[in-house]
Amino acid sequence: MKYYVKMVRPYMVWSFLMVVIPMVLIAIYSVTTGGNTLVNIQFTLENFAKFAEPIYVQVFIKSLRIGLITVGICLVLGYLLAYQICRFEERIQSSLILLVTIPMWINTLLRTYAWISILSDNGIINTFLQALGLEPVTMMYTNFAVIIGMVSDFLPFMVIPIHTSLSKIDKSLIEAAEDLGATPFQTFTKVIFKLSIPGVLNGVIVTFLLSISTFVIPKLLGGGQYTLIGNLIENQFISVGNWNFGSALSLILTVVILAAITLMRKLDQEEKEEEL
Amino acid sequence: MKKKKSLPGTVYIIVCFLFLYLPIFVTMFFSFNSSKSLTKFTGFSLMWYRELFADAEIMSAVSVSITIALLSTVISTVLGTATAIGLSKNKKVIKELIININNIPIMNPDIVTAIGLMILFSSLKIEKGYMTMLLAHISFCTPYVITSVYPKVRALNPNLANAAMDLGATPWQALYKVIIPMIKDGIFAGVLLAFTMSFDDFVISYFVTGNGVKNISIIAYNMTKRTNPTINALSTIVILVIMIMLIIANVVPAVMKKRKKQAIVRQEQTDQGAAA
Amino acid sequence: MMKKKLLAVLAAAGMTALALSGCGSSGSGATLKVYNAGEYIDTSLLTKFEKEYDCDVVYETFDSNESMYTKILSGESYDVLIPSDYMIERLIKEDYLQKIDWDKVPNSVNLNADIMGQDFDPDNEYSVPYFYGTVGILYDTTVVDEADLADGWELLRNTKYAGDIYMYDSERDSFMIALKALGYSMNTDNTDEIDEAYEWLIEQRDLMSPIYAGDDVIDNMVSGNKSIAIVYSGDAAYIMSENEDLAYFQPEEGTNEWFDCMVIMKDSEQVDLAHEFINFMLDVDNATANTAEVGYTSPVTEAYETMISEDYAGISSYTPDMTNPLDECFRYQTSEIKQYFADLWTKVKAY
Repeated sequence: MKYYVKMVRPYMVWSFLMVVIPMVLIAIYSVTTGGNTLVNIQFTLENFAKFAEPIYVQVFIKSLRIGLITVGICLVLGYLLAYQICRFEERIQSSLILLVTIPMWINTLLRTYAWISILSDNGIINTFLQALGLEPVTMMYTNFAVIIGMVSDFLPFMVIPIHTSLSKIDKSLIEAAEDLGATPFQTFTKVIFKLSIPGVLNGVIVTFLLSISTFVIPKLLGGGQYTLIGNLIENQFISVGNWNFGSALSLILTVVILAAITLMRKLDQEEKEEEL
Repeated sequence: MKKKKSLPGTVYIIVCFLFLYLPIFVTMFFSFNSSKSLTKFTGFSLMWYRELFADAEIMSAVSVSITIALLSTVISTVLGTATAIGLSKNKKVIKELIININNIPIMNPDIVTAIGLMILFSSLKIEKGYMTMLLAHISFCTPYVITSVYPKVRALNPNLANAAMDLGATPWQALYKVIIPMIKDGIFAGVLLAFTMSFDDFVISYFVTGNGVKNISIIAYNMTKRTNPTINALSTIVILVIMIMLIIANVVPAVMKKRKKQAIVRQEQTDQGAAA
Repeated sequence: MMKKKLLAVLAAAGMTALALSGCGSSGSGATLKVYNAGEYIDTSLLTKFEKEYDCDVVYETFDSNESMYTKILSGESYDVLIPSDYMIERLIKEDYLQKIDWDKVPNSVNLNADIMGQDFDPDNEYSVPYFYGTVGILYDTTVVDEADLADGWELLRNTKYAGDIYMYDSERDSFMIALKALGYSMNTDNTDEIDEAYEWLIEQRDLMSPIYAGDDVIDNMVSGNKSIAIVYSGDAAYIMSENEDLAYFQPEEGTNEWFDCMVIMKDSEQVDLAHEFINFMLDVDNATANTAEVGYTSPVTEAYETMISEDYAGISSYTPDMTNPLDECFRYQTSEIKQYFADLWTKVKAY
């Protein structure tokens, strides 16, 4: 297959232009001041120093917390769903997985708008509660609304990789475990879950990535005061116009995410070797 | 996996699907509302569908979303598949370099990718619009194609292509007739991912577009001010199109099979009748 | 098998949508690029303009003056922009605009002379009024006690209404409220006053836990989700026309009087067409259709008269009170002060 070695060249050029250079530009912006033109720039570490202010650290911690909660919920719901789906015959399984995929086709913003009309003070749930003679509940602009919105948006990204892993598990392994006297619980933790870890990791990484950096869902469901790191970055670029600080924030976010992912991958070195 | 269906399991699947589909049902439901409200249903009407087709802005956004998704899927599939095939035979250094660069857009939050590209286009003074959006979409879709295809390429027996060439195939024929058919599952997964990613993208498109070029997401985002059900009408159509396609894809082959069987049975019967 | 089906589905879905979207814009003439705030025009006027002048209008929208400015900074160019007062002042200072040739705008005779010549562009050399108004408090008359209105902006810190308030997610407008409540100018560059205003906002936030809403406030107030909201007079007019329980009021301590105007960018390639567009928007019929659609107060006298006797009769916010001497108009900020406000505002919102 040595004939095809040269086929990587177009992408090498492409990725240098469209992936490497943009990151370099972000890095340059993050360590300079002088506005949004590259003409009169000066080196500075001010933008990173600014991040050390308690308020920005708080925003970061809040984003991490909300992100982890979302991932946790997605993991529990998604694992169970993938697991239950795996119990069906293959033909039904693929239809069910397809059903999980379809919502990803419907615009995220539109689904978020729908959540607004479901959750708002005079929305569908509250109208329903009032019809039953119950007190209305405030759900919009709370953690609850933001997390609901994120979970419903990101759940498919958890279900699909887990299902892929689960469906690959050799049935004979499970039977063997049972023959050797393992309880269903033991079979699950020692065999099934262990073998599904690559899928779980994939799902966790993707949902974590999505939920820590989203800015649209918190903005729409959490209101302007719901500032996560994504919103902070968006604000710096779009409304404040401080591209330098925005770039510094982006860089910090990238580093944190890469560190988190490396850590998760390390936790599962063996499976990784196997997969590659 | 064990194939044992349980009632609670089935109920759980149904509940999960309700959760995933609730916003979609709400979106569809209110597209038939006779007033602007997205929380109170005042009566059945098709007015938003009339508005939708009369709205040149939305119609052009639909064409932007679809053409960008199709073009970026095709281009990134070709680019990504070529890279993945070439990659496996490259030197270790280059291989690792490309794999790592390739991971950047996947691991980076959308917002960081978006900002990097925005700064790139601004610095190069490239006029923002359809081209910049397309370039951006190709650059975030290709890595997904590579990650889907590359494992399949690695799993190939390297002697296959050589064998084909020994038998007189040109490298091109070996690629086309031997390698590609064997990795088509990976390519297909890449196509699906790329199309979904591109079609649903908001963040990156939002930052890199200009000159009035808008996709569906951007239109939806601009509607926050006064949401109205025209966009619901649009997503209802998208959902229905997907559903109808799925039904046709699932039912038609089944019916055909049945017909064929019936025909065979009938044939046999007539044969038997003739024999008798 | 499954996969083949999916591919077929994808392809078919694509084709259908392509077919649906067959009708794009067409026109043989020139292209005019207009950049306006979202939901701020009767879009049928754009089609009408395209027909009358045989041209294409590329119409884009922004969600705040700041995002418009960012877009321009990033190298984007347009023919006609419709920003607000202080942003126009900034654009003039930074040499982004060209002077209006008033001879090419004969419909300017329709303009209400009272609202011309504001401080940001004293001789209207660069800007042609589009809409104007104030910022005020929209409240639910069935919930809010009329007597409490005497508190002015302090109504926003009346714990009776805690949890029942939408603030506006805009740095300048929120600081305007705090500065006015404290009796300062909203254009202050005195950091002590700004810090005091910051404290006011922090206290208000902790006391009232308001929602810092964006434009979603409009839908929320129409459906009566909360009883108090900070809104622009024009949005108030629209909301009040949809929900009759609401009333609009401007505190005595003064408020923001704002003017959104049409301006032409320096590097416009369609100067004549841009003037035609501005002239077109000042035509009495067009201006009437526009103001009726969006609810903002028209600077075109006849359109204004029609509205107060027809569409928006009896809706107080359509005729905002512009006489209070304490009212001000936003002015240009240096980038240091701008950054100072921006950082404080982030701190108010992020908690």
